[in-house]
Amino acid sequence: MNGCILILVALGLSIVFGLMGIINFAHGIFYMLGAYAGWLTVQLTGSFWLALATAPLAVGLVGVLVERGVLRRIYGTRNANFAGVLVTYGLAIMIPDLVRMTFGRPGKPFAVPAALTGSLFRLGAIDVHAYRVFILAVTAVLLPALWLLLNRTNLGLVIRAGTSDNLMVQLLGIDVARTWTITYALGAALAALAGVITAPLVAVAPEMGGLVLIECFIVTVVGGMGSFVGAVAGGLIIGEALALTGMLYDVLADVVIYLAMALVLLVRPRGLFGQEGMSEE
Amino acid sequence: MKGIAVALLLLATAPLYADYTPFYLGLLTEVLVFGLFALAYDVLLGGTGVLSLGHSAFLGVAAYTTGILLARWRTPLELSLLAGALAGLATSGLLGVLVLRKRGVYLAMLTLALSQVFYYVVLMWTPVTGGTDGLGNLPILHLSEPLGWRLSKRPITRYYVVVAVIVLAMLAIRHLHASPLGRVMRAVKANEARAAACGYDTRRVKLVAFLISGFFSGLAGALLTVVLEFVPIENIHWSMSGSVLIMTLFGGTGTLLGPFVGAGVFIWMRDFLSKHLEYWEVFVGGAFVLIVLFLPDGIVGSLQRWLARRRGAPAQPAAAPVEPARLARPRPPAGAPAMDGALLESRGLTKIFGGLTAVNGVDFQVRRGELRSVIGPNGAGKTTFFNLLTGVLPPTRGQIFFKGREVTGLPAHAVSRLGLARSYQVTNIFGDLSVFENVRIAVQSRVTHYRCWGRADRLAAVSARADEILRLLGLEARRHVRCAELSHGEQRYLEIGIALATDPDFLLLDEPTAGMSPEETQRTAAFVRGLASHVTIVLVEHDMDVVMGISDRITVLNYGQVLAEGTPAEIRANADVRRVYLRD
Repeated sequence: MNGCILILVALGLSIVFGLMGIINFAHGIFYMLGAYAGWLTVQLTGSFWLALATAPLAVGLVGVLVERGVLRRIYGTRNANFAGVLVTYGLAIMIPDLVRMTFGRPGKPFAVPAALTGSLFRLGAIDVHAYRVFILAVTAVLLPALWLLLNRTNLGLVIRAGTSDNLMVQLLGIDVARTWTITYALGAALAALAGVITAPLVAVAPEMGGLVLIECFIVTVVGGMGSFVGAVAGGLIIGEALALTGMLYDVLADVVIYLAMALVLLVRPRGLFGQEGMSEE
Repeated sequence: MKGIAVALLLLATAPLYADYTPFYLGLLTEVLVFGLFALAYDVLLGGTGVLSLGHSAFLGVAAYTTGILLARWRTPLELSLLAGALAGLATSGLLGVLVLRKRGVYLAMLTLALSQVFYYVVLMWTPVTGGTDGLGNLPILHLSEPLGWRLSKRPITRYYVVVAVIVLAMLAIRHLHASPLGRVMRAVKANEARAAACGYDTRRVKLVAFLISGFFSGLAGALLTVVLEFVPIENIHWSMSGSVLIMTLFGGTGTLLGPFVGAGVFIWMRDFLSKHLEYWEVFVGGAFVLIVLFLPDGIVGSLQRWLARRRGAPAQPAAAPVEPARLARPRPPAGAPAMDGALLESRGLTKIFGGLTAVNGVDFQVRRGELRSVIGPNGAGKTTFFNLLTGVLPPTRGQIFFKGREVTGLPAHAVSRLGLARSYQVTNIFGDLSVFENVRIAVQSRVTHYRCWGRADRLAAVSARADEILRLLGLEARRHVRCAELSHGEQRYLEIGIALATDPDFLLLDEPTAGMSPEETQRTAAFVRGLASHVTIVLVEHDMDVVMGISDRITVLNYGQVLAEGTPAEIRANADVRRVYLRD
């Protein structure tokens, strides 16, 4: 389950890096904002299903604001990629405190929606919870849809072309600026959706973005930054590694994924599915 | 020097001024320690341009090492401090080796993720580290017996110990920046690929920068333990890396004073803002975003620039036209015996990019003293061929021999050290450095690579040789100009000059006349012809008049293969060449 969430969040991070060359430190923030937007929707309307739509929309809009308002100022400057890391890092410090200011420090409880409570069936000795199956289903629907979007549509074509040669795409007369905004918002919306569907499993708290961000870094290093398949494979591997060590010897759970990353770095610096030469020595 | 004396005086007398309370003194001490941390951080960021988000590990491991030594073994203070600094060094070495397989923002992400391992180790190893409670109960701090001096717990004594250590560290880092190694670090920051082409192992330079930065970060961590008499777990959490990044950029990267100013501002925000405002991080984060967007030089950096402008920047000599280059090479060519065999040879050299064979089975021989031109239509594989010869790209198949030894697969810096230099088709100079430093750093590569003692500008032979080269290029009037401000033609000359400065036996010139006017092209052709009496040259060139006029022999490449080779007259007469290349 962890794996599914990680895949969704890491995909956004990976797509944005591929296109814009920016490691988006604000990505964890979108995940956290998604959870809060979902919580707010449930508070106001009582509908979890509505939250699934409002959270990505609202946070996608925040993504547009961040891209237009902040990131746009640094494109084309010297060391734009560094500056991108720095400003998104600044946002990552700022926004959790803004959320604390608005919603208070303590986390917010988020109930599993009534329709998805309880166990669906038993698999051997393990209860399979309906909600976990729901997360699986959401991921199973979203991933092919995203893949089609990136590989079978004009927008996807521009994104992939921009990833390999941005200048050339601009010279072809394509409005790259708009594509960047859309891509950034798409990444934010994905993270937000992951945030909403995780919310019932954990408490909604301002700090939840930081942890998931680092786990996503590990996912993308293991899978290969900028690669769709890499994000999926990396998410599954790291998610499973977390779950398994958590079951067997939970003291090690936090460390094992870092060791996995160090191993991949030593053996295959570009990651399992990374393209040759991606930021390599 | 005057500034340093004033700063020292201020620091020494600070406790005498009004408001001498343990609280403020403690705060000042803390600012100094964090200033040292930021200064150490800037060795990496301002020195080599490497963005790290893993410095919490260096600071934290050192802080815990010192704390554990003090608490468990009652180790003397100076030994504990040293052990802390060494722990920082070891941690940075471990991290550096792993993350330097990548570069840029990807590297930054890796440092962050890897540094968290140390956090978790501390978190889990509660019996030794105290876990989330931090490590307390440190004994009264004392120096070792021979000194016999017991350090009292009064904050003023501690203040002076910290000031002494920090002044020493500052002097050491200042020395580092002026040393040959410090200059190489700046060259790596300005243009890593070109630094490698000058013979510097850039990955090693960055690793050394990591180690130095780790050592001084460790020292800061050890001092922090002494100052606080406590090791909070926040010291090793990744947010500490963010804090030091913020301090450094607040103050201004690349300055000696900036990190301390940044630390002061940061700690002021933390202590005073947080007293009045519950959510002070909004302001820190917001201020940071604004600084990155609108004040990239930081407080001190911007002040310095503003002062320099008010004082009226040192009058720069007007753009003197490039004189016709004087060709006499002041030094006789390296006294190598004339060799009958080829100086450079490739056998069956092949490079395949995906489905494209850019260079296809090229057999190529150049004798010592020859001026060889390589021509061919666009996309014939000339630049790729150069990249293979100079170790920038590994060949798919085939071998390269230089001076009789095989150099296939050697990295670019190793090829350069053997005496094979190149210039680039697209100007590739150290844009942020002065014209003089561009050449000087290349000359230095033949004398010393990574020496971190002595001052680089006292290497008299290096400076003299750099001046000779500038005269040769006709650029001596422009020696203090930032080279990014040179005209295109001047940059093209500097491009060749950097290659020449490594004192090569063999020089690859990739379209030196690219973008030049006809007169400049003619002058450059004469310049290259003059060079050829001292150094073996392979020239890629599109201007046929130049090629036919100055070459001894010509090799024609087409679709990555050798189409023809011979004297200019033979090539002119070659039917294949006329058909394919001249398209008649």
